[in-house]
Amino acid sequence: MEKQTIISIGREFGSGGHEIAEKIAKDMGIQLYDRGILDAIATDLNVHVNVLEPFDEKPRNFILTRRVNGYSNSMEEILADMQFEFIKRKAEEGESFVIVGRCAEAVLKDFDNLISIFVNGDRKCKVERVKEKYHLSEAEAFTKMTRHDKKRKQYHNRHTDTKWGDSRYYDLCINSSSLGIDKTVKVLENYINARMDK
Amino acid sequence: MTVAQILALLIFVAMFVLIVMDKIERQYVTLGCGLLTLIVVFGIVMRNTDAIMATLNLRSIFTVGFWYIGGSAEEASSGINWATIIFIAGMMVMVEGMEKAGFFRWLCMRLAKMVHYKPIPLFIVFMLMSFVLAMFIDSITVILFLAAVTVEISRLLKFDPVPMILSEIFCANLGGSATMCGDPPNIIIGTSLGYSFGDFITNTGAMALISLVFVVIYFFFVFRKELVAEEAEVVDTSCMPEPKDAITNKKDFIISCIIFACAVVLLITHAQTGLTVAFIGGIIALITLIVSGKDAVQLLKKVDYNTLLFFVGLFVVVGGLEQTGILEVAAGLIGKVSQGNLKLMVAIIMWGSAVASAFVDNIPFAATMIPVIKSLSAVQGVDLSTLAWGLSMGTDIGGSATPIGASANVVGTSVAAKNGHVIGWGKYCKTAAPATIIVVTISMIFIFLRYC
Repeated sequence: MEKQTIISIGREFGSGGHEIAEKIAKDMGIQLYDRGILDAIATDLNVHVNVLEPFDEKPRNFILTRRVNGYSNSMEEILADMQFEFIKRKAEEGESFVIVGRCAEAVLKDFDNLISIFVNGDRKCKVERVKEKYHLSEAEAFTKMTRHDKKRKQYHNRHTDTKWGDSRYYDLCINSSSLGIDKTVKVLENYINARMDK
Repeated sequence: MTVAQILALLIFVAMFVLIVMDKIERQYVTLGCGLLTLIVVFGIVMRNTDAIMATLNLRSIFTVGFWYIGGSAEEASSGINWATIIFIAGMMVMVEGMEKAGFFRWLCMRLAKMVHYKPIPLFIVFMLMSFVLAMFIDSITVILFLAAVTVEISRLLKFDPVPMILSEIFCANLGGSATMCGDPPNIIIGTSLGYSFGDFITNTGAMALISLVFVVIYFFFVFRKELVAEEAEVVDTSCMPEPKDAITNKKDFIISCIIFACAVVLLITHAQTGLTVAFIGGIIALITLIVSGKDAVQLLKKVDYNTLLFFVGLFVVVGGLEQTGILEVAAGLIGKVSQGNLKLMVAIIMWGSAVASAFVDNIPFAATMIPVIKSLSAVQGVDLSTLAWGLSMGTDIGGSATPIGASANVVGTSVAAKNGHVIGWGKYCKTAAPATIIVVTISMIFIFLRYC
């Protein structure tokens, strides 16, 4: 692939957004960046990735942490900034990739080759998916889904001037429950190809 | 309570909550709340233009006493404390000049080399350096460099930098409490109540120095296992950077050292020379800018104007509390509880300030408490300076207890975290909270023995 393509995929918990991102990356033969970014950062810092994982894509606790002169002692914020730097560097190096979450549509908004997507889903479908994936009861799955979405929203809205899941800030918002994962991937790939041919 | 008092209090509480929430930058919070105080409290409710003028306090800048005190004249405590703002701005310019010349990194590397990068001597020397530097320079700058160099050395020598960073943070806060210019609460207390550098060094300085002995011993014992293990390891120090490499420009370096020495001398002798801290801050900034030549604009651009604006707004909001007389209510409450007992008053102020400063920004807290102790002193007939030293030590040291209590803690833990060393509340408070209790107790006993 000669022309750089950056695809950011925001997603609701249980919508299959991550799976969609994986399939698109595989079909297009480009790198997928997700939680794996933490491994690269952990290697750089010479720490075990387990040290960083609890702080990934979480909002800052505004009572227990503070920011002074641009220095925050919230590990959540520090890790978020490190990840933003990581994906910016990759974009600046001209690499094509699919990035899941991490406010990428806002962080990389100045890159012309960015295609920003948000995947949502019907509540029932999302709960079913979470139930299956994590072996939970319906109530547990719903609670988990709500908790994660709340945290993702807080995290996103804290670090950007845009709103999580608001269609005005994405090129495309799609409900994965309507077509299922594979057909959604097809629709998205058609859109991506059309954009790339432009 | 009057409507004006209720509104002033509501604005003050809203300001604190918004600062904690950190959704809006803190200078906009204080400036917005300050504007509300001027318009709503003074303008609409009190219809008192004198209160507005007194709070803006602009006239004071154009008086001789603002720059030069011949006798023992006090500066106005009401409203915006321009002396504090000008002094801090001046020191910011000086520190920028020193930073640009590579002074701080050179000093850290020089001392590390002097003790042959041995963990135990390094641990003690960095604690002492943190204390001494913080006596004259803002603790954020001190910790920024110390923590960064500590992490760098720890990487090369393969030891855990967290014990050193934690003890450096504590010593920076302790050093800041020793002098009038070390910590913003002290500058505000000193300029508001007319105390000199000498007054601080012979009171809070003495308390800080005694405490330092205990603190060094305490931290050494707390971290002795790690330190002894690291000391036993044979390390190759040939890879360490040379201190002289930190100096970006030798001429700038020498000039910045001379300016720093001049600032220290001027501050130590300001009671004798009659020069106010505002004058010292102003002249030091001016000299730094003149000798910087074409780099002066760059230095001016680097000044943290947001912090200065934060102070302006903060003083207006506190001025609102002062003008409406609500702080006298707080003073009356402390007087009532202590029933005129000075020891109890000191204990309440010290421990109250320490606990509050451990969780909220100690600068607004100290600014608010100054009119309270003034009123308390006037009504109860107790010595104001005794209460002032209690307030100073309480606010300066209390902030050391938690990761969010003081700016140095936030910056130090942030530098550590950026390098993969996560310091959570548990890890931080486990060592810092007992140290805070030790120092506040020592300071309280000192005040009791000397004044009560």
